[in-house]
Amino acid sequence: MPSGGLLLQSIILGLLLGGLYALLAAGLTLYFGIMRVVMIAHSAFLILAAYLAWWCNERLGVDPLLSLLVTVPLFFGAGVLLQRMLLSRLRAATLTMMSVLLTFAIALIIEGLLGYAFSGTQRRIQLGYGSASFGLFGARIAVVKLIAFGLAVVALGSLYLLMKRTSFGWALRATIQHPDAARLVGIDTERIAGFGFGLGLATAAVGGTALSLDTTIYPSLHWHWIGPLMAIIVVGGLGSVPGAAAAAMLLGLGQSLLQIPMGTTWAQTVFYVALFATLAFRPQGFFGGRLAQRF
Amino acid sequence: MPNVSRRWFPLGAVAVLAAAILAFPSLAPNPYILSSGVVVLNYAVLATSWNFVGGFTGYISLGHGALAGLGGYATGLLVTRADLPSFVALLVAALLVAALAVPLGLAALRVRGASFVIVSIALVLILLLVFQSWASLTGGSRGLVVPRPFPGLLRPEHHRVFFYLYAALLAVAVLTWWLLDRSRFGLGLKAIREDEDKAEALGTPTYAYKLIVFVLSAAFTALSGGLYALWFGDLDPVFQFSVLTGSYLVLMALLGGVRTLFGPLVGALIVGTALEYFKTEFGSTPLHLVATGVLLAVVVLVMPDGVLPAIAAGWRRLRPGEQSSIREMTAADLAEQRHRSRHDDRSGPQGDRPAAGETREEVHG
Repeated sequence: MPSGGLLLQSIILGLLLGGLYALLAAGLTLYFGIMRVVMIAHSAFLILAAYLAWWCNERLGVDPLLSLLVTVPLFFGAGVLLQRMLLSRLRAATLTMMSVLLTFAIALIIEGLLGYAFSGTQRRIQLGYGSASFGLFGARIAVVKLIAFGLAVVALGSLYLLMKRTSFGWALRATIQHPDAARLVGIDTERIAGFGFGLGLATAAVGGTALSLDTTIYPSLHWHWIGPLMAIIVVGGLGSVPGAAAAAMLLGLGQSLLQIPMGTTWAQTVFYVALFATLAFRPQGFFGGRLAQRF
Repeated sequence: MPNVSRRWFPLGAVAVLAAAILAFPSLAPNPYILSSGVVVLNYAVLATSWNFVGGFTGYISLGHGALAGLGGYATGLLVTRADLPSFVALLVAALLVAALAVPLGLAALRVRGASFVIVSIALVLILLLVFQSWASLTGGSRGLVVPRPFPGLLRPEHHRVFFYLYAALLAVAVLTWWLLDRSRFGLGLKAIREDEDKAEALGTPTYAYKLIVFVLSAAFTALSGGLYALWFGDLDPVFQFSVLTGSYLVLMALLGGVRTLFGPLVGALIVGTALEYFKTEFGSTPLHLVATGVLLAVVVLVMPDGVLPAIAAGWRRLRPGEQSSIREMTAADLAEQRHRSRHDDRSGPQGDRPAAGETREEVHG
């Protein structure tokens, strides 16, 4: 039996990690809600943002958090372009399968270019406050992990306010719920869909910066993220943001707790076990699931 | 009206293709080219095996690379740990992977579209994790050395033998695909691709059909992977369980054309040759990833039906005399055509009319 302090530490770290998962899963859920697109390149963009943050710190000497000022608008634009220029050109009948392949291709291109530009060497940001931590009832919490969690919470909170309180958010939710009806009441669904994709990709920018603070990054790292993220959105029920957030917290916690008896590598299997169990027993997911049944 | 050239042309093409494959080892200038030929044939078998699922049912799997890796590891482990003769191990390994494909298929085929792709990717990632971490059995990242089945053979001879073994396996796979394509079972599978709900409503046991064809596809994939283990003699989890392998197979099948018998084979010849070329040209730089990604994106955006159908369409346009009034089109095709004729006045009266006996179908997600 692990000591109480270790257990508490695992729980806290699990929740902090779950926050980051929740933010990224929210982006994936947005894409899926808007166009039934599973965006494989989401985690590749995540790593791209982490590399940009690292580059800002390494070459320009600024705090990686400042890179957000550039990456968030940049990724928003990239998301809009991605939807308007590429995904909307695919044939509707084969959209789901072909969009997976297209975003997979984009992920490969990003991974290849990152490897070409920055080489396959493992990179890590050296921060003045990188090793700072504080104690809480016998658990040690690194400050950077708390900052990453804070970023995720702020981003998710703004996303929530944007979706619930602004007219753009109404239009976006209407587009997700019923595109035809949304068009009838005068919403330019094509444009809104593009902006929705931009918003989704912006979550990858925030997530990538948060990730870069305390993680060693390398070009093929995105494969380690896409599996867990895919598992989260399936367990949460494809297309449900609260479901994805709940699944993210739960699985992040599970991963963190299982690391005590099983070690870091085997603890990752919790995502895949959850994925297969969900598909075997409840294919529509455990939390939301209204959209998933339409498949 | 059936046309003489229509009937004999495919047979002639098959004969030429078979002759080219059989003659290749004698024509190859050096053992390196011959070994590249083995690699390309390996891709051809894998892509054709992939097409049992992807072409018939429209379910796109990015996880077939993992099934090949499982076949390879199962063969290697049976040879090294259970001391089975090489080719007995190969067959047992294929049966084992087929048996494993049953529960995998039961879970994965319950969901359609995007979820299926997610599961197939997850399969690769989890197997990579397991085979890397379980080093006491698999050798982990140090790799697994598989003894060669013909220890007395020199390397060029070794390549030549395996080239013919792969050619034989390819012939069996292509023949099986052809037989399925003409069978009632194949018709049911294609109905799943066109509209799974309607197929089910009309009494096709869709779940069982999907599962059977998935297991069949897994068995062929495992045979190819096992043969690779015996040929190459060294297995590394990073290469055996790579999402990249699966994406190569999808790229090959799509590029060639998933609805045609030889589409995946043609795609494998093009992409496999290109990959070998990239390997010598770019070495181990990550640019081959970029090249693969760009190629995949272009195929998906520009010609999702593949080159063979595109060439066939061009051929028909050159010979307008062959058209007849019998059409075989899907509802989606007709809708698209109606849509096009409403919006596009430039298309001529004959432009979109397909020839008799030519089925134009739509892959559904």
